[in-house]
This record gives sequence, structure tokens and C-alpha cells, in this order.
Amino acid sequence: MGVTKEQVESSLKAKLNPSHIEVIDTSGGCGASFVIEIVSEQFEGKRLLERHRIVNAALEEELKEIHALSIKKAVTPEQWKQQQESNQSNSAA
Amino acid sequence: MSQLTSSCYYGMRYLNTVSNGSDTHDGFKPAPKHESSGISLSDVVEQDVKDNPVMIYMKGVPEFPQCGFSSLAVRVLNHYDVPLSARNILEDPELKSAVKAFSHWPTFPQIFIKGEFVGGSDIILNMHQNGELKEKLKDIKPKQ
Repeated sequence: MGVTKEQVESSLKAKLNPSHIEVIDTSGGCGASFVIEIVSEQFEGKRLLERHRIVNAALEEELKEIHALSIKKAVTPEQWKQQQESNQSNSAA
Repeated sequence: MSQLTSSCYYGMRYLNTVSNGSDTHDGFKPAPKHESSGISLSDVVEQDVKDNPVMIYMKGVPEFPQCGFSSLAVRVLNHYDVPLSARNILEDPELKSAVKAFSHWPTFPQIFIKGEFVGGSDIILNMHQNGELKEKLKDIKPKQ
């Protein structure tokens, strides 16, 4: 049995203290493939490569069994807020 | 690899046929160790990323990627008129480990530009969308 969505979520929550997190299992149930969206203050002042490294490190154990990990978003709370606002104004327009 | 083996072989021959002269000391040099433990492969990776301005380690080949993420990365890079060098890590598990150890990155594809590790498919797509990739590739000579 592979990794579950809950395992991925709890590891990320424990290590990155995210203000928003979304983990989607894209493996069709076998637990080998995930898409992640995560908002954390720990990304502050770090470029994308370093942010991905932080997420990879937090999931070191899980990654031994996960075959595909897509980090769609790794943003700071500030960036997240801006993105939410611009999304809203887009859909309102 | 074959070079290492042959230099080792000649070293042995020296030892047997030449009895005098300072050259013979070469015969006493320790034989290269770790030939298959990934050390020489990490040299391969180092050379790859030094010699090729855009280097991708992927699953499959650019003309026929065998994974959606590798395919995405190739499609993004093909937007730009730069030469793309690639190695198929599915064909060589040892190379796969060597690349992972070199970049400290767990997944594939892995893209290196001008010797620098840039990231995987999510990052290359992001850099494509925000214009960073164009900036990074602009001084690379177009492919012939």
C-alpha cells in the first residue's frame, strides 16, 4: 500500500505549519502520485527552487514510495492573499 | 570506464616488462577504485552539465518521453530555439542515482541550464510563464 493523502498532509502540516494546504491524490487510489498546493511563512525570502526543496525534504520518507509529486503552488501567505484577490477580481469582471 | 580498465592493464604490463627507470613507479599506483559505485558516473553528470548549456535528465527521450512530466519539460524547452541535450534515466538506474545525488533532488525530469540546476517540470513551467526562462536562455547560441 502506498502513501495516503492524509499522510502527505500531516507531514507537511507538522513540518511547514501551512496556513493553507491542498493535497490531491492523482494516482487513482494507489498513492503514488500527488499534486500539492501549500502556503507557508517558511517560504518567505526563498526562491522557487528552495521552496520545492523544503517541500521535498518534508516529504523525504513519503517520497520513497511516491512516484510523482507535482508542487503546483508553494507561496507565502502574502502572495496567497494577493493571488486570491486577483482571482476574485477576475471572476467578478 | 573502458579507459580506466585499459590504463590499469597497461600499468600491470609496465610492471612486468620494465624493470628499471622512474616510469615503473606508475605501475605501483593504486588501481582506480569504486569503478561501479557511482563516483565515475558523478563525473559524467558533472561533465554533461558543463558541456551542454541545456541538459535534461528525463524518462524517455525528447522525441518520445515516457512520462507526462518529462514530456511537459521538453515541450516547454522546445519553445525556445536552444540546443537540448538529454539522457534517458530509465535506461540506466546507476545514472539515475548519480543524478539524484548530484542535484539533491528526488524526482525526474531534472533540468540544468549553463551548469546550474534549475529544478523539475513544475519549476521550468513556472519560469516559462513568468519570463525567467527566456531571460536565462537568451545568451545561449541557437541550435544549428
